[in-house]
Amino acid sequence: MPGIDIEGVAMRFGQVDALKDVSLRVPEGAFVTLLGPSGCGKTTLLNIIAGFLAPTRGRVLFDGQDVTGLRPEARDTAMCFQSYALFPHLSVQENIAFGPRQKRLERAETARRVTGLMEQLGLAPHAAKLPNALSGGQQQRVALARALAVAPGVVLFDEPLSNLDAKLRDQVRTEIRDLQRRVGFTAVYVTHDQAEALAMSDTVFLLNGGVIEQSGGPRDIYFRPRTRFAADFIGAANLHDGPISGGAMDTPFGPVPVDAPDAAHRTLCWRPEVVRLTEAGALSGKVAHVAFQGGWLDLFVTAGGQTLRLQVSGTHDIPEGATIRFDIPREAVVVLKDGANA
Amino acid sequence: MPKAVKLALLLAPAFGLVVVMMSLVIWRAVAQSFGLYNFNGEDLLSLRHWAEMFATRRYWNALEWSAYVATTSALITLAIAYPLALWLRKPFAGSYLLSALLKAPYFVPGLVAVFLLLNVIAFHGIVNQALMWLGLTDRPIRLQNDRNGYGLIALQVWKQLPLAFLLLQGAVQAIPDPVLNAARDLGAGPVARFRKVVLPLTARAMQAASILIFINVAGDFTFQATVGPTRENSLATLMVQYQGTNYGDWNAAAVVGVTLMGLSLVGAVVFTALVQGLTRAMERA
Repeated sequence: MPGIDIEGVAMRFGQVDALKDVSLRVPEGAFVTLLGPSGCGKTTLLNIIAGFLAPTRGRVLFDGQDVTGLRPEARDTAMCFQSYALFPHLSVQENIAFGPRQKRLERAETARRVTGLMEQLGLAPHAAKLPNALSGGQQQRVALARALAVAPGVVLFDEPLSNLDAKLRDQVRTEIRDLQRRVGFTAVYVTHDQAEALAMSDTVFLLNGGVIEQSGGPRDIYFRPRTRFAADFIGAANLHDGPISGGAMDTPFGPVPVDAPDAAHRTLCWRPEVVRLTEAGALSGKVAHVAFQGGWLDLFVTAGGQTLRLQVSGTHDIPEGATIRFDIPREAVVVLKDGANA
Repeated sequence: MPKAVKLALLLAPAFGLVVVMMSLVIWRAVAQSFGLYNFNGEDLLSLRHWAEMFATRRYWNALEWSAYVATTSALITLAIAYPLALWLRKPFAGSYLLSALLKAPYFVPGLVAVFLLLNVIAFHGIVNQALMWLGLTDRPIRLQNDRNGYGLIALQVWKQLPLAFLLLQGAVQAIPDPVLNAARDLGAGPVARFRKVVLPLTARAMQAASILIFINVAGDFTFQATVGPTRENSLATLMVQYQGTNYGDWNAAAVVGVTLMGLSLVGAVVFTALVQGLTRAMERA
């Protein structure tokens, strides 16, 4: 189960820089996610780790060993592809046995692994079926079993849940995480779905335009975004631009408290769910729109031509047009680094 | 109206025409080979024409020659087209031009192709003139109508290559990159990827190409009559000889025609078995 080091990796396709000097460390046995919008370079980086692409510059190390020039078939990795990439002419059982056979494992050991994985992932009743006879979720499980059958040190996931419906996605997401803990492998997971990244990862690397915008634990990256892009891409965020004076920024809604020194111009960010509705609140606004989401309410509150998004418990009954008062905890407000004058 | 009847009526104009025309032609040829539809005498159901043909050396020679040229041409064409299709799977500078050039023979009519080849290999052709100019020979050598039919097979391969290439290229390009990458990722090197992924996924195209080429070449008249060995007949040239040129014997020609259909059928079965056997053997190896 190797740890992975990416050192100054750059990748250029023609005139386009897909990755620019990316460095990161994936500890042994960790579950890390490369998160970002389309074209940010996350899949390119995954393909470089797998060996399908050779970087224009930089190195990939597994446990300190340089594997940059190593062919994919010689690396201790296995990939779960977005399209599953199952072998259409082979049955479920044969698909799973493909890797162990290539690695020339003994027949008994191959059979043991194949049977074990099929039972573990509920595929035993489908052993003799061809991939086109399976549902999307079943195909995804076959892809996962096929990758795990070679007992890889590193499993690479390339948006493996993007073709599944929402309910199945939640289920397979939990299965993957459980399996990673139980089997024990280093996982690098690529997704553009921030909820998936936050729910599964030990560490999230947020990529934008070929560089790492921010990295950290899911809580840290969600509640302490460092840049406007990070704040905006991961979940909903309320942003204010203006001067900070006396530990607050004056806004049309009232003073937003912040734990920061006075400055001429800064950008503040806070999440909609940190808000506290209270009659004695220092901030106020008019409810322009209410969206009931089941467990919570999305309130779109306006003042001075600006709109904020607040999330409160779904048990509240707040009519559109009402004026509400609220507070924002000082510790929940962060100053962004790429604010207007930062 | 029941759905099945409605479907049958809808298909009847196109499908029905094909079935009727084919059945008529096949029935007529088979019946004629057994003495019916006799243009030179009385209709008489008999095995005589088959018995007489089986006793004729020319018939067996023509059958053997047609089978040999068709099999050799199909195998050589596939052997050339397969690596080319694999090589041109991914676009690169000049690959589209190469693909277009490989397909060009398909647009050249057979007789024009023969004319072009004769310009190259005839006694006064480019090759002989070049050999003499280089001093490699003092008189023209026989390249056209050669004893072993090398010129004929070369021409057949040239003419059939686009068909094989088109079928194989389509099949090879239809294999998604992630499937090949998955095999690679699971430890399969280039040879294993070809044996266990590419070959099984392109077997049907290979099978179709080999059968179509075999049937095309087995039934060839033009190339055999113009550049084939003068002492050999193909089944097609023999059939024409019986039917018109020499004897006006329609019943004998029908026997040869039915034999040609039988040869095509046997070729299809043999190539199907061959491709499937090869695929299984490669997967197991």
